[in-house]
Amino acid sequence: MSERFSATLRIGDLNDYIAPSQGCVIKTENTGKSRMAPKAAQTEPVKISLKDCLACSGCITSAETVMLEKQSLDEFLLNLNKGKAVIFSLSPQSRASLAVHFGLSPLQVFQKLTTFLKSLGVKAIFDTSSSRDLTLIESCNEFVARYRESNSASEEKSKSALPMISSACPGWICYAEKTLGSYILPHISSVKSPQQTIGAAIKNHIYQELCIRPEDIYHVTVMPCYDKKLEAARNDFMFQLNSDAERITEVDSVLTTGEVLDLIKMKSIDFTTLEDSPVDKLLSNVDEEGNLYGVRGSSGGYADTLFRYASKMLFRKEIDGPLEYKTVRNADFRELTLEVEGKIVLRFALCYGFRNLRNIVTKIKSGKCEYHFLEIMACPSGCLNGGGQIKPNPGQSAKDLIQSLEATYSENVLVANPFENPGIKRLYNEWLGQPGSEKAKRHLHTEYHPVEKSISSQLQNW
Amino acid sequence: MKNSVDENFELNEVQTLEGHTDRVWSLAWKPAPGIDGVPAVLASCSGDRTVRIWEQSPATGCFQCKAVLEDTHTRTVRSCAWSPSGKFLATSSFDATTAIWEDAGGDFSCVATLEGHENEVKSVSWNASGSLLATCGRDKSVWIWEVLPHNEFECVSVLQGHTQDVKMVQWHPSVNILISCSYDNSIKVWAEDGDSDDWHCVQTLNQSNSGHTSTVWALSFNASGDKMVTCSDDLTIKIWGCDIIRMQSGDGYAPWMHISTLSGYHDRTIFSIHWSREGIICSGAADDAIRFFTESKDDLVDGPSYKLIYKKEKAHEMDINAVQWSSMENNRLASASDDGTIKIWEFISAPGKKMHL
Repeated sequence: MSERFSATLRIGDLNDYIAPSQGCVIKTENTGKSRMAPKAAQTEPVKISLKDCLACSGCITSAETVMLEKQSLDEFLLNLNKGKAVIFSLSPQSRASLAVHFGLSPLQVFQKLTTFLKSLGVKAIFDTSSSRDLTLIESCNEFVARYRESNSASEEKSKSALPMISSACPGWICYAEKTLGSYILPHISSVKSPQQTIGAAIKNHIYQELCIRPEDIYHVTVMPCYDKKLEAARNDFMFQLNSDAERITEVDSVLTTGEVLDLIKMKSIDFTTLEDSPVDKLLSNVDEEGNLYGVRGSSGGYADTLFRYASKMLFRKEIDGPLEYKTVRNADFRELTLEVEGKIVLRFALCYGFRNLRNIVTKIKSGKCEYHFLEIMACPSGCLNGGGQIKPNPGQSAKDLIQSLEATYSENVLVANPFENPGIKRLYNEWLGQPGSEKAKRHLHTEYHPVEKSISSQLQNW
Repeated sequence: MKNSVDENFELNEVQTLEGHTDRVWSLAWKPAPGIDGVPAVLASCSGDRTVRIWEQSPATGCFQCKAVLEDTHTRTVRSCAWSPSGKFLATSSFDATTAIWEDAGGDFSCVATLEGHENEVKSVSWNASGSLLATCGRDKSVWIWEVLPHNEFECVSVLQGHTQDVKMVQWHPSVNILISCSYDNSIKVWAEDGDSDDWHCVQTLNQSNSGHTSTVWALSFNASGDKMVTCSDDLTIKIWGCDIIRMQSGDGYAPWMHISTLSGYHDRTIFSIHWSREGIICSGAADDAIRFFTESKDDLVDGPSYKLIYKKEKAHEMDINAVQWSSMENNRLASASDDGTIKIWEFISAPGKKMHL
């Protein structure tokens, strides 16, 4: 399996001794035949879609071959040429990676990428920091509800209400579904990741303002992580506007930061000298003065934002300024606590990298987890260190690169409360109503599915 | 049939231990407590999902099964290892878990279960101080666990350098260096990072540096830890050496260098290898035979060489999965086989005389 996926995802998929053309045992609808047949007996290659792979408890590793066909630069350029309205959504982590690579500021990267992509025919370039604010608001709402449920005296008190675990990391979700299953899934926040919330916003609502039919939009996100490609391909993230309509995919394709760099190189562009175009403010965290804004925390700020909100809503404590994180086991496991009258009432943790997430999972399973909220990310150092980011320059250590990414990530980015984001307020007013509303649940929340171990995968395990 | 290659040695069967109802995979002698009168204890694990604890009776000298650890692992128990203090036994299983058993005066209770491997766990090893545990398995990964108070075990690293099934992990006897060997034909050396708190691969021994050309099944260190022996499906045994003084001084990592390859002695896969405190290398193989090698004193022109000193044909009726020198008696060893038995042997030089090396 490719090293490009997160280590967590790789560890979860180890039945993969077999390339997709050989041993995949998925039954394909069109032939109805098992693909266990020996290689020689096969006359026609059977196409396995990425979704088939995701639904199978065998390998998803072979998914890469499938995925690279569907979610690649070639496919993007093809759709551009087909006259689709291509819309980009750029993650702030990718922005930071390109900024460090080119020695630019994150805002300059955003502006120059806007120039570059529009010259290719892209209609709009948005910023997933904006949809992340939507994800965060819904998560705040969910957390407070879970906390109250867990502390209620009623019979219906659910043991799985807490800890609540962040859901933005697709490597973690995949591992939880394929390997951990039913004891962990109820703990995972039902809120979709920023990638999917921006997709839902564009194809359910924003399309009207753009005057493009949702089915004509080809939506590409730029992400720090290969695993995001798997997330975009989930069945849960497709919908129909009405029962006989075409199925619409929230995110049609995911390009990694590295692939965007490849695209820049492919077009032989001197990126640093491109002019700065104004950015598309419709779904971007850019204020009237042209400043970027967003929450603290280079992996999305889930723990940070929820901690502030819960302190305020549950204990009437408003916290300004940076929070105090305490390193627990290592730099990738840090804790946040709130004390009220000598008692710890909120205990949150950032938990990055596979070893830390394994230890916390063991604690949850044995009922020894004291945390109320966990921001789990599969990659060590979190999302800035995603497998899709641009590799260190020759002579640069991975550690040095992470440090400069951390610094650049927040460079000239104003710290802002998601609840005060005017663009997001507008989305609630015009489209969703209240946080946690029926409409918000329909468009911004999702479900997780334990992957049943199939007989074939059991056999492989024998 | 003449069993012996060198007339000066003899391998006597002392006892056959019966009780397992399926193949016996691995053996572990409990570390010698250094107190007189404490009986020898051997742990064995099997495809019958149990671990058996065998103790030598001080009165008769015979080994008896004192405990059967069952109803914990749901599939084959592939490997077992005593902690250096002898207080804990770790057992790893095809059920994807590693169990930690506490020995309270012969009463064993499972005090922890280590989960995380995706499927079969193939091997488990404690470091010299008993503060770290390593496991490896079919999921191609090597895991390092830290032993915490209250029988808590925390994963400190998940290492994914191998490209295939990892057959065995073994800690160096004095330095915190871990060696793993794999179905990918390679041997990997793992060390803790100086400035971060994670582990990484510091050396890979494979075909390109005189390594094995097929699955590496097992490895063992000599008493001083400056040499290591590995055995393989390529029908060879290889001896590796390193600058142990440099390694122990903490003055950077000292690489392992190929010293010698013992070929032409085996014609079936070599599954197990163990180096005795007195310098005798013992091998167990798929041809049901046990062989003994020592460093040859005759020819030092091309560096040390190793020679076969004894071969026991038909030591078992089927494949030999494990050979293990006793932690207490220098000339005693045990072997375990697909035939479901364990045998206790005495390796002696010429009838009636103790061996001199």
